[in-house]
Amino acid sequence: MNSPAVKIVLGLLVGIVLLAGTAKLVSYLIETEYRSPSAPRGTAESTPRQQGLADEEAAADQAARERTYEEETYRAFPIIGSRVVVWVLAQLHLLFAAFVLAVPIFAFIIEAIGYFSGDPRYDKLAYEFTKLLSVSFSLTATFGAFMTFMLVILYPQFMNYLFHVFSPTFLPYVLLFFAEAFFLYTYYYGWGKFHPLVHLGLGLGLNLVGTAIMFIANAWLTFMTSPAGVAESGALISTWEAVTNYTWMPINVHRIIANVAFGGSVAAAYAAYKFLSADSDEERAHYDWMGYIGNFVAIIAFLPLPFAGYWLAKEIYAFNQALGIQMMGGAFSWLFIIQAVLIGNLFLGANYYLWLGMGRIPGSERFQSYIKYLLIAIAACFAIWATPRSILATVSEVRAMGGSSHPALGFLGVMSAKNTAVNILILSTFVSFLLYRRGGRIPTVAWAKAGNFLQFAIFAGASSYVIYLGLKGYLVDAATRIGYSVPQVGSVLIAMVAITIIDLFLLRGSRAVGETAWGKISPISQYVLIFIAVTFTWLMGLMGYVRSGLRQHWHVYGVVRDMSPDAFTPTLGFATQVVSVTVLIFFALIGFVFWLVSLGDKGKWRPKSERVGPERAEAA
Amino acid sequence: MRIPVPLKLAVLAILTTAFYTYVGQMVPQKMVEAPQVVEIAEDVSTAEMVEIGKTIFEGKGMCSTCHTIGKTGALRFPDLAGIATRAAQEREGLSALDYLVESLYEPEAYIVPGFNAGMPAIGKPPIGLTDQEILTVLAYLQSLGGTPEVTMETRHTYYGTD
Repeated sequence: MNSPAVKIVLGLLVGIVLLAGTAKLVSYLIETEYRSPSAPRGTAESTPRQQGLADEEAAADQAARERTYEEETYRAFPIIGSRVVVWVLAQLHLLFAAFVLAVPIFAFIIEAIGYFSGDPRYDKLAYEFTKLLSVSFSLTATFGAFMTFMLVILYPQFMNYLFHVFSPTFLPYVLLFFAEAFFLYTYYYGWGKFHPLVHLGLGLGLNLVGTAIMFIANAWLTFMTSPAGVAESGALISTWEAVTNYTWMPINVHRIIANVAFGGSVAAAYAAYKFLSADSDEERAHYDWMGYIGNFVAIIAFLPLPFAGYWLAKEIYAFNQALGIQMMGGAFSWLFIIQAVLIGNLFLGANYYLWLGMGRIPGSERFQSYIKYLLIAIAACFAIWATPRSILATVSEVRAMGGSSHPALGFLGVMSAKNTAVNILILSTFVSFLLYRRGGRIPTVAWAKAGNFLQFAIFAGASSYVIYLGLKGYLVDAATRIGYSVPQVGSVLIAMVAITIIDLFLLRGSRAVGETAWGKISPISQYVLIFIAVTFTWLMGLMGYVRSGLRQHWHVYGVVRDMSPDAFTPTLGFATQVVSVTVLIFFALIGFVFWLVSLGDKGKWRPKSERVGPERAEAA
Repeated sequence: MRIPVPLKLAVLAILTTAFYTYVGQMVPQKMVEAPQVVEIAEDVSTAEMVEIGKTIFEGKGMCSTCHTIGKTGALRFPDLAGIATRAAQEREGLSALDYLVESLYEPEAYIVPGFNAGMPAIGKPPIGLTDQEILTVLAYLQSLGGTPEVTMETRHTYYGTD
């Protein structure tokens, strides 16, 4: 009687009895409804309520027949509203699309490294990354179709306008989508079936087509922010001008880089999941390496991302000063404080992972003492970047401070300080990479000492120059101060390239202290990889919101006004809630993708009687 | 008891998103409504126009997004304190009112030395103030260091051109 199976059966029986009882009761109440005793013969079954319902239905039917056709401007989505449903679907589509576009980029590069170096491990790794693509591609297309249907249903008039401007781009888009499917499935299923160069050619085709698809879709969305090629009335002048609007190319570049960073982080998260679930040291070693490569790809792509962001912001200002100021100093200014928290966490996470990873490299102990200085620099830069210009304060606090800015900390809330902080943050992370790379190797070239000194001098020179410009920014006018961001960024980029080139030559023929012990890393490192992936995804959601929300009450900025009930700009608190929900849905779905891909590693199902040893124990 | 890996990862993902959502609740919460056309009666006095113009200046017109009043130092756009007085001398051949009108309707026609171009024509989208709304903004600008003179009957070169 206490058996769980009996309890379940009993529970089901009780449920069925209760359901049947309720249905019977409802039926009885309807049957005993009041009927007029004087009802004419043949209408005895018609109650006043039924008659009322029939009349109502007939009236509605008559009204529907008499109504003239009117084109809908908007339709409403129940409960959560049209904007939120399109927002969530667009973001999910974008996240999967970013992943599907990014993975082929680094799978292709890793496969090429494997082919030219003759190391089969790279080929295996590239294939493992590619395995994640197939299901993700289907989900991307599904969310794309879902979003398109929702847009056409909920915003018919606005979509009609976009069709008016961009109709020539739809056919190429569809054809490219077919080509994408062809290349993707041939690349995946053709692994090891063609000559490696033919296979690499398929990978290249996949990347080119994928990028072209993204460029077309980017034209539609950037046009909404910075329209071009249309008259003041909205009438089309040139589709090509509409495509090549102010923010189109900056978004193209920004998205390629961000996609690679995001794709690398999600692939690293997959490796972390496999590492933590691994049963053998061999598996752990493989997935540790895979996680390292995924994270390496993510961080290398992440480092130049702020520079691509500068370009995008510059183009927004060039298109419309008010739009730029609204972004950085108006309704969205606090969003960039949240962004600073996210990016700061990404830098901290990436550096922490590298420092933990140094533990598996014999010889890297000699660099351990530097880590605390790097941590101090990174933490200080993070704090400066996340310092707001004005702070939330009570009236008495504002009076005491003499304004909404803190008398001392307020100076850290301006662009001079923030630009300096982010550039030093990038340089510090680059140094972490350098130490990691150097960990297990000792240079043997004759000029090793001079090379080290030169690298240090370049690093010190770039850092000093960045800080000098940051301080000088407080003393000059705004136009000059804004101009300083270019040499700051330039000096950091030049320093990174120069130091890398020296490092490549410095480590030629270097002596290995010992082999990297892949798999011998603290499991915490794998949770850090998951944390980085979630943070990246959240950051993409947030920045997607500002890119789109910046238009405020315009569908197409300055051309097509949003007259829907959602024409207001929501609070940042609400926006972050939507972003969080989207991120969690994405990770639930990507978890499903991981699980599906993992099924390939499992043996075929067999009846219990045929299972032996550990297999039987696992089933039990 | 061994906690399954997927459960641990799910908890980590939820906690991370919860933290960022919390950060999002800590910053100032401001909902921005879409601007509506301001109904201005034909018989409002100039003093009332100044008040309406100030509201538009700080809100729908988005003027205060870029322009300051009574601020010195490194500015991105001209400070408007005392503009009523300066307007008469700013551009040869233009009266104070004509200069202000031109600045609002055709801001690229003349750029104040030391500043960059960048102001949109406020009679056109995305700001898109009506001629009546712009008259009230003019009244407010005239009140900054001067005596407002425009009325709802004032007509200028750009009136009715959009």
